[in-house]
Amino acid sequence: MSGFLKVFRGLGLLALALTAVAEQPVIYDLLLKGGQVVDLKNDRNGRFDIAIVGDRIHRVAKNLPAARAKKVVDVSDYLVTPGLIDLHAHYDVTGAGLSLNPDHNSLRNGVTTAVDAGTSGWKGFEKFKTNTIDRAQTRVLALLNIVGAGMYGSGEGGPENDVNQMDVDAAVTMVAKYPETIVGIKTAHYQPSDWEAVDRAVKAAELSNTVLMVDFHPKPGRSYEDLILKHMKPGNIHTHFYGRLTPQLDENKRVQDYMWKARQRGILFDVGHGSGSFWFRIAVPAIKQGFLPDTISTDIHKSSIMLPHATLTNVMSKFLNIGMTLEQVIERTTVNTAKSIRRRDLGHLDEGGIADIAVLELERGRFAFLDSGRAKHIGDRRLTAVLTVRAGSIVWDLKGLAAEEFSNVGPYSNFK
Amino acid sequence: MRSRAHFGNRLLIILLVAAPVAAQEYDLLIQGGRVIDPANEIDAVMDVAVADGKIVRVAKGVTPDGAKKVVDASGAVVTPGLIDLHAHVYGYSGSIFPDDTALYAGTTTVVDCGGAGWRTFEEFKETVIDVARTRVLSFINIVGLGMIGEPYESDVADMDSEKTAAKMAEHPDLIVGIKTAHFSGEGWPAIDASVKAGELSGKPVIIDDKIFSNTGRHSREKLLDKMRPGDMHTHTFNDRQVEIVSRFTGQVQPYVWEARKRGVLFDLGHGGGSFMWPVATRAAAEGFYPDTISTDLHQSSIMGPKSDMANCITKMMSLGMDLPDAIRRSTVAPAKAISKFPELGTLSEGSAADIAVFRIEEGVFALMDAWKKKRLVGKRLAPILTVRAGAVVVDREGLSVPEWQEAGDYVRVP
Repeated sequence: MSGFLKVFRGLGLLALALTAVAEQPVIYDLLLKGGQVVDLKNDRNGRFDIAIVGDRIHRVAKNLPAARAKKVVDVSDYLVTPGLIDLHAHYDVTGAGLSLNPDHNSLRNGVTTAVDAGTSGWKGFEKFKTNTIDRAQTRVLALLNIVGAGMYGSGEGGPENDVNQMDVDAAVTMVAKYPETIVGIKTAHYQPSDWEAVDRAVKAAELSNTVLMVDFHPKPGRSYEDLILKHMKPGNIHTHFYGRLTPQLDENKRVQDYMWKARQRGILFDVGHGSGSFWFRIAVPAIKQGFLPDTISTDIHKSSIMLPHATLTNVMSKFLNIGMTLEQVIERTTVNTAKSIRRRDLGHLDEGGIADIAVLELERGRFAFLDSGRAKHIGDRRLTAVLTVRAGSIVWDLKGLAAEEFSNVGPYSNFK
Repeated sequence: MRSRAHFGNRLLIILLVAAPVAAQEYDLLIQGGRVIDPANEIDAVMDVAVADGKIVRVAKGVTPDGAKKVVDASGAVVTPGLIDLHAHVYGYSGSIFPDDTALYAGTTTVVDCGGAGWRTFEEFKETVIDVARTRVLSFINIVGLGMIGEPYESDVADMDSEKTAAKMAEHPDLIVGIKTAHFSGEGWPAIDASVKAGELSGKPVIIDDKIFSNTGRHSREKLLDKMRPGDMHTHTFNDRQVEIVSRFTGQVQPYVWEARKRGVLFDLGHGGGSFMWPVATRAAAEGFYPDTISTDLHQSSIMGPKSDMANCITKMMSLGMDLPDAIRRSTVAPAKAISKFPELGTLSEGSAADIAVFRIEEGVFALMDAWKKKRLVGKRLAPILTVRAGAVVVDREGLSVPEWQEAGDYVRVP
């Protein structure tokens, strides 16, 4: 054999060997079998299996072999979506008083990523990070309040009305220090009738090259129309836009022209349900006229969690029962939300992507949903989170789908 | 003298006649539910009327005229608001704010089980007790710093019975007893100091004691010699703290029966690590049930076994306990254990208007234990409406509110 042939044969063997390595079957840590997968970023809405290896989605395909999986969960009765993203939450539980604990309020409702909407400002953010963000199983991101002190009150003399608390440079510095966690700036609750809070927040978002979320109380001389047409920038988000204090409808319940104009120029409209920002009497006519939210979020906190029950799956269910489709509702809690905070690593089921997954049940029956005015809408469908996967681990399993029946497993605990 | 007495009697008669008229101005009337109020031996379809944060009437056929809010509870079960004797809402690293878990489970009172000690109680009061809509009481930790992990929880120098009792005397309505937990040192100093604080304050002790082989402590001695009648052992269906069921015989330990006879109370304290089906099923087979049903509420107990009060009651029912008995052990029994009866734990007229409404749902439900093993059952207790101090705070079926289409340009519907 000539030297050339030897080399050639050697290369061939090497190629064979490499092929063999590549084709060695991968063992799945978890296989979600047979669910109705709704992954709108990838234009998927059909029956697929999802194989997970480590904290990543390995494959999304039909008929993946169960024999390759350490654990198989039959989800054929359910919807499978990317882990939901709640764009507006309050989880700084050792900070301002309105916050709740993130994990059970998120993961139990299919939410794997929650964005804290400005509970803390630059002064309190690191405490929030240490006490809550770093310890939560939920991915908690943050919009940093332009007010250094954060949400410690907007009553007479409250820090949220204090322009001296709105240090643009300090906020920008804090955003730059934690770019993985702080996705933007928030302004909220500002009561004086000037534009100082909004304008400083816009500036901080521009300087830090992040997004801005605005909670706005119109005042004489400071109109909502000017906010969304002049002061906010394209890509900025107005939250609470179905709120009672937002003039989104005229006296005949027609959506105002400036709403459409603002949408055209790229202003995003987020629900931010909360205790005072979702009203059937406002949302129903708006949706009938085709003015849908860009993102659906909860504004979950100590008060909104009670009668209006602002969990994400419950808020999604409200929209499902007042004229939006299942796809529209899922889009606005996954891929749209991820885009709105420029986190394209989230909100989809890409192979190779992080394995954050929600398994949802679409229940049919007779259900009541309460709005911020504590009036009810009777609907016939409800979304419930049955199983939640965060970074490849099952962190919520409502029906014990992944659990064994105790009498089948033989002795356990200290029993022999 | 005589005429004055006579006048007094007439006044009394006038008052008695006037009373039903005044009582019709109810803030809330819960109609037609199956009322289970074990303290009064009631298990019947009745109406419950509320005014000024108190129960004012429990009877059949209460007329709804003048009631500001009427809830149709037909087909549902109406009970006193549940009392969770073992919860973690402060101090402990897994503690959670109670409203979004407790009130949603029909629980209106939680007793924080040792999160705060005498050094931290005031902060606990300010940040949780005074803020929560749930009624929050406290078993104060014998450790001055509370339940903040090691080495603090085993620091005998910080177990001061006098200072603990002094703090209890400052808040006699809020602090209902003493907790000792997680002591990993040798001997009995933690339990002795707790019992001493109990004697000084006249209140019970609740004990979560890890029995290690090298501690020089034994469950028999603890239950029979150290604990007083009325003191509580929590985490009953755990298998590592007190061995309720012997791992060798599979039977309830004789000294456990003896302790019960002498008045030691056994509390469920389900938690993330203290409820095992192999223990619970064996104990239940011998008729050994916890005296009080409680959750050990904290982050991982909610995420894993989902053990809120309704879930724990469902588990007890799956073990053969009937519903009224389970309600008794979740209302009047814990209220008595912390000397809060009849203010709490009953629907007696004059009691706090803390009320829970449930449906008994049929279906297939997985009840998970601390080892994430499940038991499939065919029915469960599902909380639908909770009243706290006379106000509806949870209403999953919208029973207490009108439809929005009927409500006009509402801000808050009545």
